[in-house]
Amino acid sequence: MRSLLAPLLLTGALATPALAVTPDEVVETYADIALATYEDSLTTAKTLQVAVAALVANPSDETLAAAKTAWLAARVPYQQSEAFRFGNPVVDDWEGRVNAWPLDEGLIDYTSADYGNEENALATLNVIATPKFTLSGTEIDATTITPDLIARTLHEADGIEANVASGYHAIEFLLWGQDLNGTGPGAGSRPYTDFALGDACTGGNCDRRAAYLQAATDLLVADLQEMVGAWSEGGAGRSAVTADPKAGLLAALTGMGTLSYGELGGERMKLGLMLNDPEEEHDCFSDNTHNSHYYDGLGIRNVYFGQYTRVDGTKVEGPSLSALVPAVDPAIDAQLKAELDASVAALGAVKAAGDAGQTFDTLIAPGNAEGETLILTTVTALVTQTVSIDRAVTALGLTKVEFEGSDSLDNPGAVFQ
Amino acid sequence: MRALLLALLLTTPAAADTAEAVHDQIRPGYAAFAEAAQALAALDSCDPDQLRPAFHAAYDAWLSVGHLHLGPAEDEGRSLAIHFWPDPKGLGRKAQSALLTGDPAALQPQAFRQQSVAARGLPALERLLYPAEPLPADACPLIKATAADLSDMTGDLASAWGPFGDLLLTAGEPGNTSFLSAAEARQALFTQFAGGLEHIADNRLGRPLGTFDKPRPELAEARASERSLRNVTLSLKALRSLALALNPTIPKTEATFDQAIALADTLDDPTLAGVADPQTRLKVEILQQAVRATRQAAIAELAAALGVTLGFNSQDGD
Repeated sequence: MRSLLAPLLLTGALATPALAVTPDEVVETYADIALATYEDSLTTAKTLQVAVAALVANPSDETLAAAKTAWLAARVPYQQSEAFRFGNPVVDDWEGRVNAWPLDEGLIDYTSADYGNEENALATLNVIATPKFTLSGTEIDATTITPDLIARTLHEADGIEANVASGYHAIEFLLWGQDLNGTGPGAGSRPYTDFALGDACTGGNCDRRAAYLQAATDLLVADLQEMVGAWSEGGAGRSAVTADPKAGLLAALTGMGTLSYGELGGERMKLGLMLNDPEEEHDCFSDNTHNSHYYDGLGIRNVYFGQYTRVDGTKVEGPSLSALVPAVDPAIDAQLKAELDASVAALGAVKAAGDAGQTFDTLIAPGNAEGETLILTTVTALVTQTVSIDRAVTALGLTKVEFEGSDSLDNPGAVFQ
Repeated sequence: MRALLLALLLTTPAAADTAEAVHDQIRPGYAAFAEAAQALAALDSCDPDQLRPAFHAAYDAWLSVGHLHLGPAEDEGRSLAIHFWPDPKGLGRKAQSALLTGDPAALQPQAFRQQSVAARGLPALERLLYPAEPLPADACPLIKATAADLSDMTGDLASAWGPFGDLLLTAGEPGNTSFLSAAEARQALFTQFAGGLEHIADNRLGRPLGTFDKPRPELAEARASERSLRNVTLSLKALRSLALALNPTIPKTEATFDQAIALADTLDDPTLAGVADPQTRLKVEILQQAVRATRQAAIAELAAALGVTLGFNSQDGD
């Protein structure tokens, strides 16, 4: 009986059309989606760059609003790219330059009088108002604000992570300003006159503020260009996952699981709620956090399903984990697919609340029971899917132990032999 | 007969590894923590000198379970509320100042439970019992509220580990949807174990170490109460016990643990202030390397013995 049963089962498995999908093909799709996502991040950042130039050339309510709109649009592809971060050192090592958070924004520009951080002496440096200052005993000449000054001198100055001088959130702060509404409704409300020249200038040093905004935007474009290169043919990101498809599959699932659990579900949602601190929202100046979280979740789902909808509406798709996993364990696959849909739906509810004015900072207000439920439901959905992602790792015969425990990733597993 | 034996083996509810960890380490650890926190809350005094010994006893007890970020510790944010650290934006101090000078109604148990996690737990108590500068108001009501809240949380944790421990112990049995196999339960505990070692190396030692050019002694954990090194030593010992409960035959892991603990024991530097001095800094760096070596050894040896890999951890991310 046993000898009969085994070949039958095998035949059944072989008959599954999903077996036509190989790990090689799956990691190829993974790299293609990474490339498309970073390409879209780059093109939308270039649009932002043009809008910022228009704002600086002719400050007005309209040009400021247009720059803000461009920033919001740029977040849509970028947040979807976050699913590539944790599994790939080439992304994770670079990420701090473009999306570091939370920040002590007083390093960059003026803030309210009660602003400060006892653990960070530079939290109120205000580079825009201070062309020359001392940093760790070194005289710094910041008379001209350049991408290089921001990247090499100011960013993470003094080794403090909260000294975020570059990336989306630094630009966000310069466009919106501090959100002084606490956990109440309303985002930052920087006037366009903060960029006006001559007597119309508000906030002081408008020329330096404009220079900082342009330099930070130029730097973002250059950084994103680098990541497009990393996922293009021959780039380090693409090569790492395609050279060893098992390592590539592990990178894909690690990125999904870590973003779901520790980062989005934990650090960005649960912790924000537990601290009731409006600065603990990811896009705290623009109150765009509901969108950033939603697109994070969508990015996680993109990786599993091997599908990405580009900003121009075209689709990038190919053989994916969602075809590979059912070949080894259909139950895990079915559950994970349902859970990914559920987490995107839960994040969709948070997004809908934000679109209707209940932005993330109001959801985490102390005593907002409805907001708490909305957030905790979403956190639960993200934690739940992480368990299935873990099970998919095991079902595919992948292990982080070899990855961590030895230099060699070349340890043949049972599944793909 | 062989079939019967096989059936018996297959239906064994939980392997000794998980059972030993739950019965011998985790549940007694939480019970002792709850007891110590209750003893602290029961003291009828607000004199820091009177409270400090009980504070240290509770902190010591926490270190035997503080590495467990799963199950009841994750529910209701208890893990965060018991020990919110690091606090890079100084939110704890800020939230506590507001409580010290604000409406006393916020100190009632129900209301206090809703406060920011940065204002609760052991680091919050430390700031009240070892104030860096004079507090803006009488700290007595806030000390009592914080200690009572900690006691409540630890009691809830100890109780909740009854049913949650049962889930681990019945892994793979019909109806257990949390842990579908004994291996999943082992992996859950192993992941916490490895995360605990990473936390010691990266945060407890890594934060004060900073860089050679910019050491950050002021970022050491529990510096005011001079527990920075003690926290390292006690958590290493707790993790060693957990590893041996999971599998007693791990000679390489045991040896690396012993080396790390010996290094910590000989380091005469309670607050790790020595990171700022090139001579003594080296000793802390060597300890950090020993902790990392322990983690590597355990990942190679213990994971293989347990037949598990590293799972996802709520502490992952940045």
